Amino acid sequence: MSKRRVQTVILCEDIQHQVFVYRFLKLRGADIRAITVLCSPKGRGSGTQFVLNRFPVEVKAYRSKSTYLSLCLIVVIDADDLSVEERIRQLDDCLVDAGQPRRTAQERIVILVPKRNIETWIRYLDGNGADETTAYPKLSEESKCKSAVRRLVDLYPRDIQDDAPDSLLRACTEAKRCNT
Amino acid sequence: MIKKIYADNFRCLVNFEFSPGPVSLVLGPNGSGKSSVFDLLGKIQRFLDGEAKVTELFPESDLCRWQTARTQTCELELEGNGGVYKYSLVVEHERERGLARVNKELLYFDGKPLFEFQEGKVQLYRDDHSTGPEYSFDWLQSGMTVLESRRDNKLLNWFKDNVHGFLIVRINPYLMTGDSEGEHSRPQITLEDFASWYRYLSAEHQGKVFELVLELRKILDGFDSFKIRKAGEVQRILEMVFSTDSDGGEPHSYRFDQLSDGQKAIVALYALIHCGLADDRQGGGVLCIDEPENFLALPEIEPWFRSLYDRCTDTGQQVLIISHHPKLIDYLASSAGHWFEREGEGPVRVKPIKDEAGTGLPISELITRGWIHE
Repeated sequence: MSKRRVQTVILCEDIQHQVFVYRFLKLRGADIRAITVLCSPKGRGSGTQFVLNRFPVEVKAYRSKSTYLSLCLIVVIDADDLSVEERIRQLDDCLVDAGQPRRTAQERIVILVPKRNIETWIRYLDGNGADETTAYPKLSEESKCKSAVRRLVDLYPRDIQDDAPDSLLRACTEAKRCNT
Repeated sequence: MIKKIYADNFRCLVNFEFSPGPVSLVLGPNGSGKSSVFDLLGKIQRFLDGEAKVTELFPESDLCRWQTARTQTCELELEGNGGVYKYSLVVEHERERGLARVNKELLYFDGKPLFEFQEGKVQLYRDDHSTGPEYSFDWLQSGMTVLESRRDNKLLNWFKDNVHGFLIVRINPYLMTGDSEGEHSRPQITLEDFASWYRYLSAEHQGKVFELVLELRKILDGFDSFKIRKAGEVQRILEMVFSTDSDGGEPHSYRFDQLSDGQKAIVALYALIHCGLADDRQGGGVLCIDEPENFLALPEIEPWFRSLYDRCTDTGQQVLIISHHPKLIDYLASSAGHWFEREGEGPVRVKPIKDEAGTGLPISELITRGWIHE
């Protein structure tokens, strides 16, 4: 018999988010069979709304199972024109609107908010310099982020430089919720 | 990597063009020509390998029913060696005698000739495209079948080797047995000869088999290893060895065909990833897989696909998947989906997949409702 039990749920906007986080976890030695990914079936653009809509559903599922299963929910959502705080608050508001308590510090719910988007992090990690206001173009193939992810794995968690985008530094702190 | 497939007058493919990407998901209703494209690639492969003659591979029944032309054209553009190969095959059908023969077979690299076979005569060109030997050849076979590897025809042989390495599969676990009569370097399309393919792999690619065993140990409870048992002069039986804590860890073997159909499919699917794909240093291979999700339990589809995706993107392999599974559709369709469709009984056309009307529904739901491109 074959068996599989998901322990990590990645909720993200698109394939670029998914490839970035999934590769990071894989290189960090996570059990990849225990990971499931939910990303917008319609790609970038509609992805933000997909994550916002789906977040309360996944948090409810997480809370119902986390008392007896070791689970982790990882959310990836670009800040776009908002600040990181505003995006996280927006997600919290989605919980309140759905009649659920806000996220607590003890919950293994990680919210990663690249600003302005994931390409900002990739560009920085590839050594090209990046700021958080420019909307950098998508990669021609999502898998081309692998050198950036490799670099992040090498640096994480202690050697991330101070010149890194603020949203990346914050994400590294946030990731500690899942001990990843 | 395949850049373009063109077919004219082959089943429902008329003036048909398809340009797949590195990872392509082929979607469409039943009977929309998806599998015909894979069949065509398989026929070109067998033709170039000299496994069968044109009469067997391109029977008259494969002519498009509503066309009157007696010629079929197939073209394949393949990227590699720093350029683009273009292979063309024109098959001519003789109505009176019900025969088929090669009308034209050409191979060009970046627009310059490497090989021309016309009117029963082969003209070879060297790697620098200077004119090489000329000879007469059988109109029923590929003129490339007899070519040997030389210092000045490396470009041509790279093409042949690359097409030989295409893996085109439509797994049918009902047909998969544990019996093997020999070693098969490439499995049949249904993988019914999995045991013979495994024999070859265990002899020639032990590292890959080791990777497969490690992966399967994570997936199949108690799986330990494969075993090949002698059952005659050349006959062997493939077995799988399991051990469980409940019986004190004592190992026990099952013939491969005693596994469930789902287990056989899992083993075959992971074997394709770990043992079937070429190494990237060999120039990148092509895997065409028709409905891999059949027979798999729901939780197994996602991890298999992610392993495949990782392997392909890491090593530069190309994968073309035909699937009706919503998880694969919603994951891939918006970025790598190709929609095959026909107007009534007309020819196949390929369109990109998008939610044109902005319904907000997942692509899989649009397909379920028949709303794609409506």
